[in-house]
Amino acid sequence: MSAPPLVAEGLAKHFRRNDWALRNLTLTIPKGAIVGLAGPNAAGKSTLLSLAAGLLAPSQGSITVFGRDPLQSPEVLAEVGYVAQGAPLYRSFRVADTIEYARRTNSRWDAEIATELLTRIDSRAKVAALSAGERARVALALALGKRPRLVLLDEPFASLDPLAGRELLQLLMDGVAELGATVIVASHVVADIQRICDHIVLLSGGRVRLEGDVEELLESHRLLTGPRRPLGSIRGVREVVRERYSGRQLTLLAITEGPIVDPSWTVDPVSLEELLLAYMAPERLPAPRTTEGVPLRWHG
Amino acid sequence: MAWVTWRQHGSQAFAALGLLIALGVAAVLTHLPIASAFGHDSLSACVPPAPRTGCDIIVPHFESQFSGLVTATRILAVLPLLAGLFVGAPLIARELEFGTYRFAWTQGVSRRRWLLSKTTLLAAGTILAAGVASVVVMWWRSPFDQLEGRIAPGGFEIEGLVVPAYALFALALGVLAGLVLRRTVTAMTVTLVVFGAVRLLVSDFVRPHFMAPLHRVIAATATSAAPRDWVLSNTLVNAGGRRVSAANEELAVLHAQQAGIDPHTYIVTLGWSRIVSYQPAGRFWTFQLFEAGLFVALAVVLVLVAVWLIRRTPA
Repeated sequence: MSAPPLVAEGLAKHFRRNDWALRNLTLTIPKGAIVGLAGPNAAGKSTLLSLAAGLLAPSQGSITVFGRDPLQSPEVLAEVGYVAQGAPLYRSFRVADTIEYARRTNSRWDAEIATELLTRIDSRAKVAALSAGERARVALALALGKRPRLVLLDEPFASLDPLAGRELLQLLMDGVAELGATVIVASHVVADIQRICDHIVLLSGGRVRLEGDVEELLESHRLLTGPRRPLGSIRGVREVVRERYSGRQLTLLAITEGPIVDPSWTVDPVSLEELLLAYMAPERLPAPRTTEGVPLRWHG
Repeated sequence: MAWVTWRQHGSQAFAALGLLIALGVAAVLTHLPIASAFGHDSLSACVPPAPRTGCDIIVPHFESQFSGLVTATRILAVLPLLAGLFVGAPLIARELEFGTYRFAWTQGVSRRRWLLSKTTLLAAGTILAAGVASVVVMWWRSPFDQLEGRIAPGGFEIEGLVVPAYALFALALGVLAGLVLRRTVTAMTVTLVVFGAVRLLVSDFVRPHFMAPLHRVIAATATSAAPRDWVLSNTLVNAGGRRVSAANEELAVLHAQQAGIDPHTYIVTLGWSRIVSYQPAGRFWTFQLFEAGLFVALAVVLVLVAVWLIRRTPA
């Protein structure tokens, strides 16, 4: 039994004093999972991937890739296909040079996979002259050509138009299916994650807010809609994640532990997007209060 | 990694080649009149230790004729620095600035190996280029070396083994500065300043003491003490061997003039003489070996520090 692709234990990272990018993160990514690493900007997604790629050292705790510390044992990086945000490549290189670079620096280079991804790209073109979509494809070809067992993609669709994004997604899935690799895709666009991922890790403020199998998560969460009322405990609900009032209506996003028997609630399944947005919201905001002596005024 | 290094630094190799060709052409062109004057005045007969008569006129004439050119060659002392500024400093700093380290350092080659192989190959290229430049300069300066020697800084620092050693030191300095400072321009600036400071420090305070200097007593009025040696100090002493202060010397001259005597004659009658402290010309290669060894050792230490630091680098 080989070690899991990624294990974080009490992992924390800060850049400047008291500026924590990740706090006390404990996480195990199962083998073969396609993981969507979601979260708002500055949630710590890039930091987590950089730590996994051995580009950063943890401030506290540990991170291992296939049981090895990527900083102490950089040979494990041969099994990791990492594409950093913005797909940094040498701008003065031709596409062919870039591929050659990866071939020369990776022992298990698979030219076939790389070539497949690069059809329709002129290999003599300079990297600087490529469109964002082409560049992302070159970067993906470099990552998959290593025949990695773990693929880390940091916002691969960020600069792509929807069509190019969808195409890249298809190429990624085809390549991954062939390799049987575990994939972690960081993205703040929920739609991208939704289309391919079977596993979710939601980061916010450097902590894991939600983690699990997508189907199980969708199964255990429900939207409850009903007339506005003071909230007591509801039979069948284990925890209310978010409550929202609109007029006389009350909508709850809840974790259920059985059927909701109260007929005054309309029970609906929840979409992944709704689920992620609900958990992404910062800790419950305090209700607005007026300070005594300072009357609220209407503006405008 | 050889292919990678060549792909990323090939243009620098061509630039170095161009520079060497320019240096060679300039050397040949400027050497023609020097060689002709040297042959015409049969200056080879003036080479110490047994110069023929008349050399005390011909040699200064020859030297003053080309003194401008010889002074100009001192600018060649900055050539080794180019390796640090344009090869060393950007090596890591550029990767950090453009974010390409995220690609380069996540391939199957560990970043320590990446740095070590690149630095080794670039060091080999640097040594080759600096060596060729050094040979060209030695050829060009050979008439002057025969007459004036080459252990004094003017010749010592642009000839022999120290040229590749300086270049190696500059390269290593640039690499480490780029890693620590993470900005190409900042790294270049620091490389420039530190390189200059270390070179000055060594030439002014370390090199004179590689071996104990020799001393020689000469007449107080002698003008040229040791034509091919590196004179470290030249002090006027009285008959008791005590140092004569500049004020006393002036007083003596004034005294002689008032009395209507030739000051030179007067000083000799006082029993004063000069003690010259010098490094003899024959120690040139020993000193070259010492200084080159020192700079190569510094370069190795800097590279090792960089290799050690690079694993703990970016945040």
